[in-house]
Amino acid sequence: METPRGHKHPLSQVIAEINSIFAEIGFTFAEGPERELVAFNFDALNVPKDHPSRDMQDTFYLADKPDVVMRTHTSPVQVRHMKSHTPPIKMICPGKVFRNEATDATHEAQFFQIEGLMIDTDVSLGHMKGVLEYFFSRFFGGEVQVRFRPSFFPFVEPGVEVDMMIAPSPDNKLSGRWIEIMGAGMVHPNVLEASGIDSTKYQGFAFGMGMDRLAVLKYGIDDIRLMYNGDLRFTNQF
Amino acid sequence: MKFSYNWLGSLLEKPLPPAVELGDLITFHSAEIEELIDVAGDTVLDVKVLPDKSAWLMSHLGMAKEIAVITKNTLKTDPFSNPVTIPTDERIKVSLNSVTCDFYSAALITGVKVGPSPDWLKDRLVALGQRSINNIVDATNYVMFELGQPLHAFDADKLSHADGRHHIVVRDAKPGEKITTLTGEEYTLNPSDALIVDGGNDIPVGIAGVKGGAVAAVDAGTTNILLESAHFDRFAVRKTAKILKLQTDASKRYENGICRAIAPIALTRVIELILEVAGGVTEVITSVGDVSVERQPVTVTLNEINSLLGVSLTMSDVEDILSRFAYTYTTAGGSVTVTPPFERDDLVIAEDVVEEIGRIYGLGHIVSIPPTVGAVAEINVRHYYSEKIRETLMALGFSEVYTSSFRAKDVVKLENALATDKGYLRSSLVENLREVRTANIPHRDLLGLQAVKIFEIGTVFGVESEEFRVGVAVQTGTSYKAKVDDPLLEEVLTALATVLGVTPELISKAEGIAEFSLDALLPQLPAVTAYEPQAQLPKITYRPFSLYPAVSRDIAMWVPEAVTTQSVEEILAAEAGPLCVRLTHVDTFSKDGKTSLAFRLVFQSFDKTLTDEEVQGYMDTLYKTVANQGWEAR
Repeated sequence: METPRGHKHPLSQVIAEINSIFAEIGFTFAEGPERELVAFNFDALNVPKDHPSRDMQDTFYLADKPDVVMRTHTSPVQVRHMKSHTPPIKMICPGKVFRNEATDATHEAQFFQIEGLMIDTDVSLGHMKGVLEYFFSRFFGGEVQVRFRPSFFPFVEPGVEVDMMIAPSPDNKLSGRWIEIMGAGMVHPNVLEASGIDSTKYQGFAFGMGMDRLAVLKYGIDDIRLMYNGDLRFTNQF
Repeated sequence: MKFSYNWLGSLLEKPLPPAVELGDLITFHSAEIEELIDVAGDTVLDVKVLPDKSAWLMSHLGMAKEIAVITKNTLKTDPFSNPVTIPTDERIKVSLNSVTCDFYSAALITGVKVGPSPDWLKDRLVALGQRSINNIVDATNYVMFELGQPLHAFDADKLSHADGRHHIVVRDAKPGEKITTLTGEEYTLNPSDALIVDGGNDIPVGIAGVKGGAVAAVDAGTTNILLESAHFDRFAVRKTAKILKLQTDASKRYENGICRAIAPIALTRVIELILEVAGGVTEVITSVGDVSVERQPVTVTLNEINSLLGVSLTMSDVEDILSRFAYTYTTAGGSVTVTPPFERDDLVIAEDVVEEIGRIYGLGHIVSIPPTVGAVAEINVRHYYSEKIRETLMALGFSEVYTSSFRAKDVVKLENALATDKGYLRSSLVENLREVRTANIPHRDLLGLQAVKIFEIGTVFGVESEEFRVGVAVQTGTSYKAKVDDPLLEEVLTALATVLGVTPELISKAEGIAEFSLDALLPQLPAVTAYEPQAQLPKITYRPFSLYPAVSRDIAMWVPEAVTTQSVEEILAAEAGPLCVRLTHVDTFSKDGKTSLAFRLVFQSFDKTLTDEEVQGYMDTLYKTVANQGWEAR
């Protein structure tokens, strides 16, 4: 028997596609540590200690290190990136994140997120809508519309939930209906300031979503735990 | 929080839109509706109230105000339109000895008749999923759901009242102090917890802001009640509720920072309701502490509003929205200054006002601005080379796995692990790869693989450090065999060295598993100026696989030289039955003008474990097919 070609994990494929699409419109791919300081994971992101907004994310802490967590989102990468760059900024940060939650077919305690950030003097929710429609259209194929609903995330103001709809198409089960896909908003001035950016001069949007969910939607995966158990009966379908 | 459609409607002048339409309006202008629930004679809207709005939207009044703004309706009356002050009356003594409490109001009502609540009151509580207890307790709950203010009723006769006066003390708990709550659970307290204490005997009668105690519970025999409407520090209540694992409707409202100016308003309201449903006479009303709230004006320019939202509102559009909120505001030269009402703690910076205007105007009005195509400022070298490594490994038959960052035992320990076998961070990829390799060995035939060949690119953790590593594992048989497996591993390492131009320095190589640091390798690799083009993959749809074991069988036969492998394979495939999930040609050789062909068949069911007999049945069919073709089975 000849050696069949091996298979790329669907999340690697998703990361590569995301990077490729965002690179076309000038977004760089940034990374940061998975084990993160509370200062970057929460404080700089306008999530104060003892505030109910910290409960929105169940957190793994490190033994004997109360100031260190497993990052609950890739937002600290945004903070680190803003600290080391000056606007205009266009970046995405895919990466692994951790939540101390019971696991089931749609929840894992460790999963991948993709966040994005665009900062300049005049960036608005209109720019975000354009960027997201561009991305989803390229990623899912077909023409994708997005819509916003009011929401709250401590690191943005205004904050929105984003739904997307793929233009109706008979061979696409996802098409023709609104799908809740991500949280987003205009970066909170406290976050800009904590990241060394003058909030009186600059503004911009940030968004974040589960990459697992993108893979689930794109490939019809029925249990996200399959992505993390190394079972080749799964991986070798890709 | 759950809201009753009928209740909301009763607070507004004009009729509500139908429930489904109202739900959509709330979702697109205020907060997400999670569910509409039909209950007897009413519809319940389950609304996900997020932390920024929780101080004022966790009440029917708060939601009715939102609906009024969204649908241009008007409140019948706004209980918050005028602050209420209650003078101190020494006939109830209140001592605030804890910083957790900055305001406490109380009322003594005598001669109440405890009994079932009237139907209208019961119906509203039951619609929200609450249990109706008695008219007194129900009235306190009702006012909490109406105005957002937690309230509590004590049986005044179960509190000591020396020289005819009750004495309520709010103080911090003593270490190890215990209290039994209304529902009978005992809690051991910490000094960070505040208590409501009977000043006459120092016995705790409630956990401040969380739950009342059993000692002074209202019951069927109660005739005199002491009502509490107080304000407790949000952080202290949050801490207590977390430590005691006792989150209540009251604690949720305090920890979200409900405004203290509501407490005296709610006391006045609950007295009125109790007199209505249980009778009695108000003997004393008192309050201690400061209830004043000063909200700072917030200024935002029209330009900021339009520039953040990406819309083009005029000043009169903005003023229209602000007047629907009934906010006090002034305008001056393209900017507007808003003074938030006392209950709104979420309007502090200009962006907060922008959000208010944007959501009421409608986020659907935002027009997309297409992105401009342009080059990236930096290349992510780790991603670039990770992709190169993936390509190289895949070309040699290796498949990529993602495994857990957690291990049962390793160097770096988690404080709060999910499970004992996930208590540490991995310091290497090797053990995970070993386990995954073993787990995949039984699937080789099913997957048509001679060997399990896997790799992972992922993060590992040292005491302080963290790095990306590449791990590669191979195993051909049911156990590692150096003679067979080592050459496969060497082949990979050689290929990587060729592609990368540098030989990766291995951290370990043993028993068919090798690992090296990607981060250590990157600085040695050539600079990168552009990403490789991304290959477009054919559309893939994942198909769930059977969790039942697969069974392999081989069949071999002599066929005339003129017969092709492909034609035999097609004939076998047609006869092998629906449970044959894989048919692989494994061997060919020729002798004396005849060809020997061997195939491996894998059978698997989605519904059960196949027995030997069943599989033999399928094989017998194939042997018959072979015989019918005039071929000789071997």
